[in-house]
Amino acid sequence: MTEAELSLEKLLFNLSTLAELGEEITSPKDFTRVVKSALYMVMGSFSSSKGAIFQFDGDRGSFEPIASKGLGDIGGVRLKIGANATGELVKYKEPLDLSSNAYPVTLLGTAREELRKLDARMLSCLTVKDELLGFIAINGKFSGEPFTQYDHQLLSVMSQHISFSLHSHSLLMKLMHKYTENKNLYDNLRRIYYDTIHAFAAAIDAKDSYTRGHSHRVSAYSAVLAREMGWNNDEVEGIRIAGLLHDIGKIAVDKTIINKASPLTSYECRELNSHPVIGYEILSKIKFPWKGIPMMTRNHHEKVDGSGYPDRLKKGDIPIGARIMALVDAFDAMTTDRPYRPRLSFKEAMDEVKDNWNKQFDPDVVYPFISVIKKEVRREVDNPTIVPLLQEQLDSVTLNRFFEGFPRA
Amino acid sequence: MVKRYNNFKEVGDTVVLYPDNYINDIEGEKLEELCTSYLERGFKKVVIDFSETDLINSIGVSVLIGMIEKVRDRKGNILFSGLKQVNYDVFSIVGLTKHIMIFETEEDAIGGNEKAAGAVTTA
Repeated sequence: MTEAELSLEKLLFNLSTLAELGEEITSPKDFTRVVKSALYMVMGSFSSSKGAIFQFDGDRGSFEPIASKGLGDIGGVRLKIGANATGELVKYKEPLDLSSNAYPVTLLGTAREELRKLDARMLSCLTVKDELLGFIAINGKFSGEPFTQYDHQLLSVMSQHISFSLHSHSLLMKLMHKYTENKNLYDNLRRIYYDTIHAFAAAIDAKDSYTRGHSHRVSAYSAVLAREMGWNNDEVEGIRIAGLLHDIGKIAVDKTIINKASPLTSYECRELNSHPVIGYEILSKIKFPWKGIPMMTRNHHEKVDGSGYPDRLKKGDIPIGARIMALVDAFDAMTTDRPYRPRLSFKEAMDEVKDNWNKQFDPDVVYPFISVIKKEVRREVDNPTIVPLLQEQLDSVTLNRFFEGFPRA
Repeated sequence: MVKRYNNFKEVGDTVVLYPDNYINDIEGEKLEELCTSYLERGFKKVVIDFSETDLINSIGVSVLIGMIEKVRDRKGNILFSGLKQVNYDVFSIVGLTKHIMIFETEEDAIGGNEKAAGAVTTA
């Protein structure tokens, strides 16, 4: 091959390498692999046997190796360069010949010694705008030939390509960092929010030693029933919160009335029955991320025949969430001890539900409730919620007998 | 005794390595690892036969230089054979042809027939 032919071949080879480098740095491959490939392309172009790419690590304030070849383990090598020197170096678009003792190589300070230990001969800055992102360092050519002006230009262009890759990756990492930071903040806020709601629920239940855990059970039962009725995750979460807070109005009711074992006077009855409205007034001032919580609280003592309180609404006018809560609230009240009577058995409670079918309780809610209980008894669900809290053993045969007399859907 | 495997052949203290069709990504390092394992086992002469190799790019050059350095560090001998013109040109561009003995066939390389050096396969 003549000199002219060799030059042309070399030009074509380098153009081809640049095209491949462009393709590599825009590929969706893993960043480590991209950087490694880019380094190998640079080294292959200059027949270098040793090379490394360094990237600035803001936390450590130094340039750390992110890819290397022919240098063994250089994980511990760090290039420390002062801020002023960095500001000057970024101006030099041409690669630096490290065999020189002249400016700007002198800007490298102690890093120059580290680079010499790595046998580095050429150093190219990786910059985007005025930011020094890193360096490429390579040793002399395998052939022993000197680096020409043409080589300097080629290394400079390859460095620009690699700079964009580093810059994009760095932006992505910053974005990921911000995302994680925001997510953690959001998770913390969410935890505080839930903790606060749980604290309210505990405060409500604390007023009545008999109803300890009542709000949590109503919450859990409502959620599982809503899910059975096909509600989506967001809606289920809403009724779960409503269940925790449905009795919040009791905070304003005298404790002696709540805990009274003997029949209530009409005044005491009015006081106790005021709790859904008080609860509504408290909760309607809060902007919940879920819909309907204040109204579910207000209407959880309504009955489908219109004989409930406070608004004496009939079936279709009662929010469906309130109809769910009306059933599970009564069911939990029946299956737990009260100051005025011991708890009812499951069968007795379901007999009450049957007796009040389509009067107090909505059949559209009762049937899915029965369905959930059947599934839990048959162990068709992974995490049973209602049956484990009933304090009695249920089996399929007995259960079917319980439900035999129920009106058909 | 000659032992021929899929991508390498052992002939006495010589190993002949047969790279894939392309040496153009960092997967090519597997060839370097294979070479290192032979050097560690005491093989002194490494022949790389490129008869089946159609393309070597800058990454491939980098991998091959890594192999040359490793062989030389252990005072071994590394020879190339079966180079197609296109690959010979790549080695000329990066200056490897001045430093590596290149043979037309792997037999010439194994035999160390220096008179045959500098040739490009006509196949």
